[in-house]
Amino acid sequence: MRAFGNRPFVISLASAVLLFLYAPLIVIVIFSFNDSDYTGLPFNGVTLRWYAELLSDSKILGSIWNSVYVGLGVVVLSVTFGLPAAIALERYEFPGKGLFRRIVMLPIVLPGIITGVALLSFYLTLHLRLSLHTIMLGQGTALMCITITEVFARLQQMGKSQSEAAVNLGANEWEVFRHVTLPGIKSSLFGAMLIAFSISFDEIAVTFLLTGRENTLPMTLWSLLRREVTPEVNAASTLIIAVSVILIVIGMYASRGKGAAGNGAH
Amino acid sequence: MTTGIELRDLRKKYDGHGGGAGAWAVDGVDMQIGRGQFVTLLGPSGCGKTTTLRMIAGFETPSSGEILRDGVDITDQPVTDREMRMVFQDFALFPNMSVAENVAFGLKTRRMKGRFDAAQIRRKVGEYLDLVRLGSHADKRPHQLSGGQKQRVALARALITDPEVVLFDEPLGSLDAHLRKVMQVELIRLHRELGKTFIYVTHDQDEAMAMSDAIAVMNAGKVQQFGTPREIYDRPTSRYVAGFIGHAHIVEATVADSGSSGMVVRLANGETVRLADPANVAKGASVGLMLRAEDLSLARPGEGELHGEVADSLYRGEYVEYVVELKGGAGTVHVHEPTDLEPFAHGAAVALKVNPQKAHVVGGAA
Amino acid sequence: MTQATLTGAGAAPGLVLRSARRIERRRMLMWLIPPIAWFTVFMLVPYGLLFYYSLGHAEDMRFVPGLSLANFVKVFTAEPYLGVILKSARIGLMTAVFSAIIAWPLAFALAFHTRSAATKFAIYLMVIVPWWASYLVKAYAWKTILGTNGILNATLQGLGLTNEPVRLFLYNEFSVVLTLTYIFTPFAVLSIYAQLERVPTSMIEAAKNLGAGGWEIFRRIVLPISIPGVIAGGVITFSLAFGDFVAPVLVGGSDSLMISNIVINLLGVAFDWPMAAAIGLVIITLGLGLISLTGWLEEKTQVRL
Repeated sequence: MRAFGNRPFVISLASAVLLFLYAPLIVIVIFSFNDSDYTGLPFNGVTLRWYAELLSDSKILGSIWNSVYVGLGVVVLSVTFGLPAAIALERYEFPGKGLFRRIVMLPIVLPGIITGVALLSFYLTLHLRLSLHTIMLGQGTALMCITITEVFARLQQMGKSQSEAAVNLGANEWEVFRHVTLPGIKSSLFGAMLIAFSISFDEIAVTFLLTGRENTLPMTLWSLLRREVTPEVNAASTLIIAVSVILIVIGMYASRGKGAAGNGAH
Repeated sequence: MTTGIELRDLRKKYDGHGGGAGAWAVDGVDMQIGRGQFVTLLGPSGCGKTTTLRMIAGFETPSSGEILRDGVDITDQPVTDREMRMVFQDFALFPNMSVAENVAFGLKTRRMKGRFDAAQIRRKVGEYLDLVRLGSHADKRPHQLSGGQKQRVALARALITDPEVVLFDEPLGSLDAHLRKVMQVELIRLHRELGKTFIYVTHDQDEAMAMSDAIAVMNAGKVQQFGTPREIYDRPTSRYVAGFIGHAHIVEATVADSGSSGMVVRLANGETVRLADPANVAKGASVGLMLRAEDLSLARPGEGELHGEVADSLYRGEYVEYVVELKGGAGTVHVHEPTDLEPFAHGAAVALKVNPQKAHVVGGAA
Repeated sequence: MTQATLTGAGAAPGLVLRSARRIERRRMLMWLIPPIAWFTVFMLVPYGLLFYYSLGHAEDMRFVPGLSLANFVKVFTAEPYLGVILKSARIGLMTAVFSAIIAWPLAFALAFHTRSAATKFAIYLMVIVPWWASYLVKAYAWKTILGTNGILNATLQGLGLTNEPVRLFLYNEFSVVLTLTYIFTPFAVLSIYAQLERVPTSMIEAAKNLGAGGWEIFRRIVLPISIPGVIAGGVITFSLAFGDFVAPVLVGGSDSLMISNIVINLLGVAFDWPMAAAIGLVIITLGLGLISLTGWLEEKTQVRL
């Protein structure tokens, strides 16, 4: 039996923590229905007008599309450059491997703003105009390590046997990749793509300095939050929470068959 | 020009972690494996047998030394080109393909393009699945098979491309005892029918003895002895091999007399044993006297060359194993006696009759 | 003698021996070159440019190239830079520590006290949802709660504990740490949970069988096995909190400005690119050091199971 220690004590503390995690979100949801011009008390009555206002706000709708576009681009970039990196790191020894690994992981510990500063100076030096594509390149660079880490872990788990067997049977590099490697990493790759897309959708730090005329959803929200004029913000927040919940539940159930529950992914 | 596979002073070192000196996994291996032979690399874990096999296959690059095939240096040849199919210990079947697709894999690669059409491939797959008696499982997925079935799929997959050389990396290691024996017979049969070179790696000496034309007993990266099973068993050339194979005890002795018709050795307790083996050892030299449990028999005191006391007896089903302490602390030996014999009591004084044809000496002092 | 006819079925006749060494190297380059090219163009080159900028200075809204390390000196000696960096580090550390402390009971319950796989999955899901809910939303939520019209004040007034709204809750370092801690607690739960899951059940059962009590099992088995991973997770939390610019703007006050806010200001109104570049490089160097340090630490303390 895995359990040890004082169970009631642990359970009550754990419940308190869960409450702590959910209370603020529930508050927002409640206030999104508040029939008041201010965000906050008093609670006047239930209304859906903030949702109506939100859904007719073309700026928000437009930025949602932009976020999807950027997200998809980020996923394509991460896979295109991250997959080869993971394979190279798992299979080969080469001079500078340690340095390369550190550079790849660096964006995780860097403040997004700093990554943004570096890329911004790069773009400006090249006289590149800021746009959704500059955001895509920046986020792609920062999020590539997710694909690399997930695929690398899966490759290590897979072991060498199958690819050795394939090569031993006369397969060339492409055939090994197509028949052994790719089928093996499919689930990890898909998971990494999902995570990268989700993070990109919510990303603001790197995006902040690299945005041109078109805004992503977080950037639009940011200006909304700074002004804090109407409780439309609460409605937007609630919708985002709802969409996240739906996507997560779908994603978790989809990958559950592959034994995803219990792998504490971050 | 020699046919078969030749290993010349093969060495492999792995880098140690953190810049320290690594260990020599294979430390100077020379070997000649003739065409069509069934050769086994036998030894405990870490002796270098698997590393050697993997170098022959091309998965590892030797640190130094050459691998020749029919006289040609193939040390730098890619794995893909060698056409020495390997049967892996963990089977290495492709989980995303059916049994039939797994077996057909080697025929469908680019380098085999145009050699077989789809119908021929299907026929060959059926032929080889029947050969390993899995004809009815063609459309199953690997995860639906038992261990023994998976191993047979791996075998069919390796054999279907008709390679000259088949490599086996402890293929029966994960099967239960009964299945292992069944598969051993299968492998002997296949070897006889197909006439290919089999290079086999195992730590199981019974397996090696049963199947091989020749065995290379390995330890610490070196080949201790290379010979037929009989030679290894009856005439080990080193203490290590003598101790590794079978139930043998090495008792210290000195050569009292040696000539063309045999030799006499004297134990620490003064007793002597006559051997029919005219080994070239000088009089007075220290040797280890190898006494196999099945070559000794117990008798009443005075009726044998050696004397001692029964320390223990263990019922083994097939025989009773007696642990006998030799007189004067000369050593301990095990003796196997038939189970229907009058049992010897614990502590009883006994004599030991030594079969002079079977007794054998191995090198210097311990 | 390298020309050879490989006999045996499957080999094309008259084949020349290929070199495995050369083929392997070519393949390695095939996999390596695209990512290395990408990272060179989008990380190394930009960092190089930052270095170039950091050596100059700004004059009348224009960049003047130079060759001086003055900016770097300023980062470490002049106000507000040094102070803000230290404050950001302090906030980051507090966030990492507090979020870990709060996370422990939940991670512990998830790892050891869930009775069925379904419960475990459900609670795991419940932890993930706040983690994936938008960052901005979570920060904004606390602004709502802590404000003068917010829930906290309303509750206190309603309960009769205070007469008028307390202004202390918002717009200071306390609210920043609180908000950041809240944001990173789910991540801490997941990261600690992942470590706790590594402890084999058989080890716990063996310890119980030998008479160890709950606390003893925790201290001598669970803690040593899980601590390295927990620290690794804490390092990430620290870095993310350190570099945050959202919380200080939404819920922070004049005393809680963090380094990312400073950098943004330098790029905007103040137009001191060289200074921003210098700060950026310092943080990049610290980041590289942090990665190396955690890697080394993990190797030293990792209990191999």
